[in-house]
Formats: sequence, C-alpha cells, structure tokens
Amino acid sequence: MIQTADSKALRRKKIPVSQWILAIVLFLGSFIMIVPFLWMLVTSFDWGARLNITFPPKIWPEEPSIRTYEVAFTNIKMFRYIINSIIVSAGVIVVSSLSALLSGYALSKLRFKGASLVLLLALSTMMIPFEMTMIPQYLLFSKLGLLDNYLAFYLPALNYAFGTFLAKAFIDQLPSSLREAAILDGAGEFTVFGRVYLPLCTPIIATMIILLFLGVWNEMLWPLLVLKNAAKYTIQIGLAMFTYNNGINQQPSIIMAATAVSLIPVVVVYMFLQRYIIESIALSGIKQ
Amino acid sequence: MILSNEMNADKKMTPKRKKWFTRNDWTGYLFSAPLIIGVLAFAIYPMFAALFISFHQTSGLSLNGKWVGLSNYRYALEDPVFWQALTNTFLMGVLSVVLGIVLSFVLASLINNLKWNFGKNFFKAVYFLPNVVSAVATSLLFSFLFFPSKEGLLNFVLSWFGVHHPIGWFTNPEVSRYSIVLMSLWGALGYNTIIFLAGLQSVPRDLYEAAEVDGAGGYKKWLHITIPYLRPIFVFMLIMGTIGGMKRFTDVWLIGGTAGNPGGSLMTVVLYIYRNAFLASQMGLATAASYLLFIIILVLTAVMMLLNRRKDSLD
Repeated sequence: MIQTADSKALRRKKIPVSQWILAIVLFLGSFIMIVPFLWMLVTSFDWGARLNITFPPKIWPEEPSIRTYEVAFTNIKMFRYIINSIIVSAGVIVVSSLSALLSGYALSKLRFKGASLVLLLALSTMMIPFEMTMIPQYLLFSKLGLLDNYLAFYLPALNYAFGTFLAKAFIDQLPSSLREAAILDGAGEFTVFGRVYLPLCTPIIATMIILLFLGVWNEMLWPLLVLKNAAKYTIQIGLAMFTYNNGINQQPSIIMAATAVSLIPVVVVYMFLQRYIIESIALSGIKQ
Repeated sequence: MILSNEMNADKKMTPKRKKWFTRNDWTGYLFSAPLIIGVLAFAIYPMFAALFISFHQTSGLSLNGKWVGLSNYRYALEDPVFWQALTNTFLMGVLSVVLGIVLSFVLASLINNLKWNFGKNFFKAVYFLPNVVSAVATSLLFSFLFFPSKEGLLNFVLSWFGVHHPIGWFTNPEVSRYSIVLMSLWGALGYNTIIFLAGLQSVPRDLYEAAEVDGAGGYKKWLHITIPYLRPIFVFMLIMGTIGGMKRFTDVWLIGGTAGNPGGSLMTVVLYIYRNAFLASQMGLATAASYLLFIIILVLTAVMMLLNRRKDSLD
C-alpha cells in the first residue's frame, strides 16, 4: 500500500536524481551478472569456436550454427543425462517430502512420547557435514550392491530433517480442532493426514519441491561417488566427466552448448517460479 | 521435559490402566519412522562408522582393518599437503565470505532504497539468477571467461585498461585462489542479497522515524539502526558461509583436478579427503581428515556464536 502510494507520488513529481543514480549503478552491476550467460550463448552457437575461443570476443557468433548443439548431443549423451536427472530428482522429491510431511505432522499434532527428542535428534544431525559421512555411506551402498542404482539417492532422501522442521512449523499453525473433529467422525490417522492436512500444506510442499529440485539437479559429489556407469550419469556428472576426461578448456562451443542445455531446466523453472524461489530461499535462510 | 510431564500426567489420571505406550504413541512413531530410519541409517550410523574407520588402517573397500589408534590423525596433521589444503580452503573461504557479505549487503541496501517497484523485482531476479546455476556449469563457464591468454574475455576487457600482460587466472598458482573467490562471488552474491533484503524489510519503521526526529540522515540511519538491527543475519551468513566455504570441492576439482593444480594452490580439505579415499583407497586417513574438518567447522561455528553473544552483553 505504502509502496504504491509512493510510486504514484513519484510519477506525478519528478524522479529524484539519486533514484536515477541508484538505478544506473544497479543496472551496470546486473550487466556483470548477465555477461557470462551472454558469452555462453554466443559461443555455444559459434561453429568457429569449436576448437578455440574466438578473438576478439564476439557479440554475435562468427559462424552462427546449431551444429554445435548437434555435436554436443551426440558426443555427450545429454538427453540421457537429463532424463536420468529428472528420474533422480522426482524420486528424491517424493521420498523426502513425504518423509518430512509425515514426521512433521506426527511431531506437530500427535504429541507422542519422545516427540521432542526425535525432533532434537533429527535437527542436530543437520550439523554433521555430508563430507564426513559420505565415505561410510559409500561403503554401505557398495556393500549392498547399490552403486549405479538410484536407490543410492532415494534411501538417503528419507533423512530430510530440514523438511521435517519446515513441515512441523507449518502444521503447527493449522488448527488441531480439524483433527479432533475428523477423528470423532471415525476417520483414521492416515485419512486425517491425507484428506484434511495434506491439502492445506500446498505452500510448504511447493517450497520443499523447489529447494529439493535445485539441490538434486545441481548435486555433484554424491553422484561422482556412486555412479560409475556412464549410462546412469546425472546431468552434472555427465557434463563434468566429459570435460574432465577431455581436459577443461577444450572445444569451447561444444562445452558451452552442453552447459547451456544443462541450465535450461533450472532457468525455465526459475523464470516461472522466480517469486516462489526467492521467497523459499529467503524463508529457508531465515528459518535456519 | 515434555516427556516427563506427560508421563506424570498419565500416572495421575489413569492409575489403573498403566498404559505407558498408547495407541497414539505408536501412530506417532509409525509416521516418524521414515525420518527416524533415515536419520539413523544415513547420519548417525555413518558418523560413528567414520570414527571407527579413522582408527584403522584399511585396505580397499573393507571396513575391517588393523587398529592403529590415532596414527591416521597424526599422519594427516604431519602431512604438508593437508596443511596446504587447510590454508587454501581457509583463505578462499574467508575472502569469499567477507567480500560476499559486504558486497551483498551494499547491494541489498541499494535495491531496498530503489522506489521503483518493477526495478526492485527485476534486479532481485537478475542478481539471484547465478544462484540456480550448478557449480559444474559455473566452473566450465569461468574456465573460458578466465582463459589465461589474451583471448580470454576478462583479459581482453583488462587490456582496455592497460593490462597488456594476460593474467593466468587459473594457471598461475599465485592468482588461482583469488580467481576462485571472484567466481564464487558471482555465484553466491544473489543468495545473500535476497536474505538481506528480507531482513531490511523487517526493520521496524518507527525506529527510522524516531531517528529522523533526532535529525539523523540516511547514512546515519543505515549505520546506527539498520546494521545493528540486522546483526543476527550477519552472524548467520558468517556461519553458513564459513561452513560452506570449508566444504569447497566441485569447482576446484573440475578446474584443478585431483592434484589441486596449478601447483597445489587449489587443493582443498574435501579434495584431500576425496583423493585419499577414492584414488588412494586410504579410507582410514580420509575419514580421519574428515573428522578434523568436522572439528574445525564446529570450533569455528562455536567461536562465531560466542563472539555474537559477547557483543550482546556489551550493548
């Protein structure tokens, strides 16, 4: 309200010089943020940059072509990697958010014996760095014969303590009388959870999906450990191993084409859900 | 506390039934079972397993080896590579955290003072965009932008300003760590900015109004109201940034390989752990190093929290 009144007042009056300076400074800064993306796009369409980067840097490709993308898709199995990443992300999202919602509901509304202990235990494990537990986890999955198996992603996804925390805090704000009324009507606990509370949890589910998707899509270290078969690679590890094996700084336009493709899903999601994402990040930052 | 209170209440109200574990409790544990299993199997168990392995001399993938006491820890602490890794990690971490916080706070203040709503949202979105880009994509992109010859974009731009000797951003061991800091600033700036913006909007307006009555200008208000009010956010970012910085791996691995090239300047602690565990099959040494990392992170976090508290008591 105050904001709109302000901007209306601004339109009628003259815009102060300080506001102009502010906008120009911010615009120049955002140019620095965007230039790497522009360079990536220009280079990715430049057949002339398939072996070496062009000099001087171009604003428009020297030899505009989409052959770079064809080569990227045949040399690097981008399509396969993207499908794999989608499968892994979807599985992790389902497992993690269900685990978080179920436990968040129980901790908030059931008040069972030891509930606060469970919450405290789960939250304190968030302090344990993954880099410390990754070696035993790797050994565990290799012993179970689950390397190159996506269960190596789905099973650890059960441990989503931060999601539990978010879900509990959200369900705490929903009235308990809904549960009591439904139980008096003879509903079981699962029905109460699934039919009454779950539909009310959509905002927090959306937040969890966004945070989990961005996390899993960009994850690199765990896939590097558990995925050995190139057919199973997720997008990050596929891209990383291609450049790792061929040497970084080789074939600029091919690598940039592949990188651009790897960014499409996140950037599309970002464009459509930009507001949600920024809110989720701010929320998760403040809650932590 | 809650647990014992509930137990007492149970005893008083239903002394005859003595149902210690009710149906409700069972349902609660049933619902929490996925979380509890996940936490036990993928956090608690591996934490103790790592401790167990770190006291053993292991070969290959087997968990059982010869008990060697603390000698893995001693080896790591006497290994110059470990110290080099620690120094590098620390240098890059501190620089990117401090620069990142200062820059993003200034940026957030600028955006917050903009009275043009469309511009506000636009700049928020643009500055945040690099944050959704993976570390792999960022590293690949910057390996070209920071190309060490005059063909590289950054060297080309610098040549307009009279720097005609191309800088070996990722090839000169003196420079490479700072190049990583620059790269991670580009990626992480937006995240801090968003959180600062949320904080800036939460500063109560009457504080500013009171200061205006006292005759404080924009700069004074910023210095004496905004910054002290946001101190918890500064501390939060310092802690999260330091923890994140101590875990640096993907970018240095992709740019410098497992040797942390050039000249070991990009060797980090996690790279050291990875290299020993998965290339040298020295699981004992690697887990010992990972415990050292854990202890360092805990100590740093505790120190920062204490500093915050001491400032509190001074106020």
